[in-house]
Amino acid sequence: MTNVIEARDLSKWYGNILGLNEISLDIGPGITGLLGPNGAGKSTFMKLITGLLKPSRGRISVLGGSPWNNPVLFSRLGFCPEIDSFYEDITGLEFLLGMIRLHGFPAAAARSKAMAALETVELAADRDRKIKGYSRGMRQRLKLAQTIIHDPEVYILDEPLTGLDPLGKRKMIKLIRSLGGSGKTILVSSHVLPEIEALTSLIVLIHQGKILARGHIHYIRDLIEKHPHQISVICDRPRHLAADFVGDANVSRISFGPSAGEVVFETGNRDQFYDRLGKSLVEKGIEVEEISSPDDNLQAVFEYLTGK
Amino acid sequence: MTKSSVGDWYRAAGRVFRFYFFLARRAVRTRLFVILGLVPVALAVIVRVVFAGKSGEVMAVFNDILITFFLQFYIVVLSLFYGTSICAEEIENKTLHYIATRPVSRSSVIAGKSAAYILLQTVMVITGLTVSYLIMNAPSLKTGGFFPLLLRSYAALFLGTAAYTAVYAFLGTVLKRSLIIGLIFGFGWENVIQYFPGSTQKLSVVHYLKSLLPYRPVAGGKLSFLLFRLEPTSPLASIATLIIVTAFFTVLACLVFSWKEYRFDE
Repeated sequence: MTNVIEARDLSKWYGNILGLNEISLDIGPGITGLLGPNGAGKSTFMKLITGLLKPSRGRISVLGGSPWNNPVLFSRLGFCPEIDSFYEDITGLEFLLGMIRLHGFPAAAARSKAMAALETVELAADRDRKIKGYSRGMRQRLKLAQTIIHDPEVYILDEPLTGLDPLGKRKMIKLIRSLGGSGKTILVSSHVLPEIEALTSLIVLIHQGKILARGHIHYIRDLIEKHPHQISVICDRPRHLAADFVGDANVSRISFGPSAGEVVFETGNRDQFYDRLGKSLVEKGIEVEEISSPDDNLQAVFEYLTGK
Repeated sequence: MTKSSVGDWYRAAGRVFRFYFFLARRAVRTRLFVILGLVPVALAVIVRVVFAGKSGEVMAVFNDILITFFLQFYIVVLSLFYGTSICAEEIENKTLHYIATRPVSRSSVIAGKSAAYILLQTVMVITGLTVSYLIMNAPSLKTGGFFPLLLRSYAALFLGTAAYTAVYAFLGTVLKRSLIIGLIFGFGWENVIQYFPGSTQKLSVVHYLKSLLPYRPVAGGKLSFLLFRLEPTSPLASIATLIIVTAFFTVLACLVFSWKEYRFDE
């Protein structure tokens, strides 16, 4: 596989704060998901790839060249930033025309490309509305439109699904997948595992500026499965339920939560625990109000993986 | 730089110019500054009505006031806001990533954007000055005796706008609080230094601007300080100095913007 993006011992400091810590990573064509909690270094990594930041140490190359101050590269790269900011006093169409004209396309070709991009993100009907009047979802789609408008080879998408409604997310996922399927190189970041799962099976886990793991989604899923999970059950007889699980090999801790009738179990094997829980509830005739997993999130998984 | 890369740079600057000239025309602040530029027009109408039939001396005094308004206030304010914003607005509005990830060099962004803002300001300044001047000098329109002064004023205002914009653009690329420093420079340093004798006065932009305008002692009396100057520099040297100031600070701004890393969280 040809590497499109190559990072070697890449570090970035913001004064005394470490943004990225000696990352070495190769990314080839297809979709790669960059997964990590907020503040993990995803955006920093993407800004280094897009030449918005300079490496403090190490090197980064995209399509064989350094991205810092390299305008030639930017005709082959599209960046969808996380930040929700625009030139607010112009319309969506004017914004896209302005962006594509910066690539040197003549007026007619620029207009046709802008219209095509607006059609792709389903904003054609709102093209003459000022951006400041756009909803969050529309602004997110406009950001993607300016990313795809010049048909780049490399897409850097920083949290592209943020702010979209479920239908919008589905459409965006479909679009990104189709771009990935056509041989483009796409790096997409998110802090939401199911979003990344829907986009790709190749995932890079990043946390506190370091690459924790890289591999197939199943590998990541396994890591999550091994992570001791807390499961909260709110029921009419919490003490009876707790007593039934004392001595269970799959339960490492039992405590009573702050809510009335809440008992919290910690388990290292969720599947077996849930099997046993179902049986226990039925056998004892316990009425359940709610079952939830309060730490079923990435932050908890990352803390577990980093030994916190 | 090869011949072809120089050509690419100019073309990129041209594309940046088009985009930002369009954006600046649409900006709310442009509308506000156009309104500010209409103040002397309104003043000219009032003066024409109140002093109708009075001597040409009164009109000459108001002509000087007009030039002073444009030269020492309007272009300084316009350049301050447009010049410092060339870099700062991209950081404050968090739009830098749109322009910085396009196939245009960072130096061409500064050059193209500066040119766009200078042109826009010049149009605003010259329109305001021309309209108010024509109103003030309506009776002598046929003789056109005031045209040479008007043309010299155009040249001074254009060169002044370009020089101030370049200085402020540079401040905007290096400082976080460039507007405050710019205010101190434009209305502190410039206003004080120009009245220092010897060569110190030559450290102000306004010295060269005033040197480009003919000194008319006829406008003396209480308002003569407005166009007062100590030891004017020759017009040719003034033009050369203003061009050098513009080029020097524009190049500096381009270099800083190309080299410096800007972060939105700063």
